[in-house]
Amino acid sequence: MVDWGRVQFFLSEVRRSFTRNPVMQITAIGTVTVTILMLGAFLFGRQTLTTIGDQIVRKIEISVFLDDNVDPVTARKLEVQIAADPRVLSVTYISRAEGLALMRERLRGQIDMSLLKSNPLPDALRVRVVDPALVTQVAAHIQKMPGVATTVYAQDVVTKMLRMGDILSRLGLIVVISLVLTAAIIISNTIRLTVFARRREIGIMQLVGASAAYIRGPFICEGLIHGVVGALIAIGLLAAAQAEYLPKLQAALPFIPLSIAGHDELVFSLALLGTGACVGILSSWISVDHYLRT
Amino acid sequence: MSSETSPARKDGSPSVISLHGVSLIYPNGTRALDNLTLDIAKGSFVFLVGDSGTGKSSLLRLLYREQVPTRGEVVVDGVRVDLLKRSRIPYLRRNVGVVFQDYKLLADKTVWENVAFALQVTGTHTRELLRLVPRALNRVGLSHKGEMYPSELSGGEQQRTAIARALVNNPKILLCDEPTGNLDPANSTEIMETLLHINLKGTTVLVATHNAAAVDRLRRRVIRLADGKIVSDEDRGYYSLANGTHGGLGQSTVLP
Repeated sequence: MVDWGRVQFFLSEVRRSFTRNPVMQITAIGTVTVTILMLGAFLFGRQTLTTIGDQIVRKIEISVFLDDNVDPVTARKLEVQIAADPRVLSVTYISRAEGLALMRERLRGQIDMSLLKSNPLPDALRVRVVDPALVTQVAAHIQKMPGVATTVYAQDVVTKMLRMGDILSRLGLIVVISLVLTAAIIISNTIRLTVFARRREIGIMQLVGASAAYIRGPFICEGLIHGVVGALIAIGLLAAAQAEYLPKLQAALPFIPLSIAGHDELVFSLALLGTGACVGILSSWISVDHYLRT
Repeated sequence: MSSETSPARKDGSPSVISLHGVSLIYPNGTRALDNLTLDIAKGSFVFLVGDSGTGKSSLLRLLYREQVPTRGEVVVDGVRVDLLKRSRIPYLRRNVGVVFQDYKLLADKTVWENVAFALQVTGTHTRELLRLVPRALNRVGLSHKGEMYPSELSGGEQQRTAIARALVNNPKILLCDEPTGNLDPANSTEIMETLLHINLKGTTVLVATHNAAAVDRLRRRVIRLADGKIVSDEDRGYYSLANGTHGGLGQSTVLP
């Protein structure tokens, strides 16, 4: 059975410690809010950039030019063979005649195509892969197939896009870690102040035989409140900003998909809330433990 | 080598506190206790006397594990306190009540709440609380002042509140560090009477004090410290050594 007298006592201890220094409490909550806000904004920005990058890279295709002596039947066989590869999204066969027509279309007015007495183009296959990171690998694989003269793809674009994504991820990680660290330091300082303000009480608790876990309880709770309240405010602000500015931003940048799907929003909020709670608990734990050990 | 052996327990009763070859040297090099050996019988009332800075408080701190000896063994109620793991210290403290000169009460809690605090922070059920707190207040004669705050009490009443808090867990041992140091003679006498009553109910009481009148009136075992060593240990001693020798008491053991 729950001993309500004990619950009440615990809650009153938390309240006492929390109301002792309101300015510090507000500072701690505010820091968590700012941290979570920036974390949220950063994650949104990264998500958008990733989407844009994905779309660009997704358009990258491998042009496979076949040997001159390859007949249409062998070309079709190659097409089927490449399409069977699980890494490949689609394969399109373009005969030399189609290729010439496409080239005429593309270069209309720039070069006098009538100068061409014969068709210089070989038969070709256009290959798209499921993941941009696989382009190089798949191209090398196709290159080795009999009947393939050469493979061409925008190698520079692929490697640059991949590298940029990588750099952004790392940079983001550094930013996020330093933000979380700042919040942790400020919370642990706040807790240290409350611990200091209550050192007499803690001394008496230790004297009459309160366990370390018991003494820690109200302080951990205080840190948890900092983390959760700060995160909730930040999530509220992010939601408001999304409702207010996202449609306008989307209207200004119609070619970039900015929306986050409904399911992701919930996961996103919970992740931010969890981050706030963890920062609160861990930083208060560390500072109380430090005090109890010395 | 004078303090290496303590007088043998003459009455043969089991000791509840036992120190063997205990030295305490602070990090700054101060030697607070020097090779102390000592036994205190269960249920006894013992005064610890000596000038300020002779190690009385240090000795008490060893017993509730506020301090760890540099050398030697400290046994309290059968437990090697000097070897106690940090996580076990709270359980020792529930068995050893401690009272200080400055009471150490919480100003924003009433007498009742101050006493209950000792039980609440050790996770006692509220039902037990409602039974134990009035009993402890009754033992120190403060049943009628439960709703008052420390600032509304006399010094003696504040100290009795602190004693009630030390007793509420029903400890086997009560340690008092200058319990009457801030009190006038009348209040001091009251506090000593209270401690005596507690001792009569079976709790071992160890009092470090400068209160000569109380020591001379109660005539209990008196252990005298000087420079971290036991210089005398008398079964029915006086506050000052001169008194004891002039009194011509056969039982007193005065160490050279």
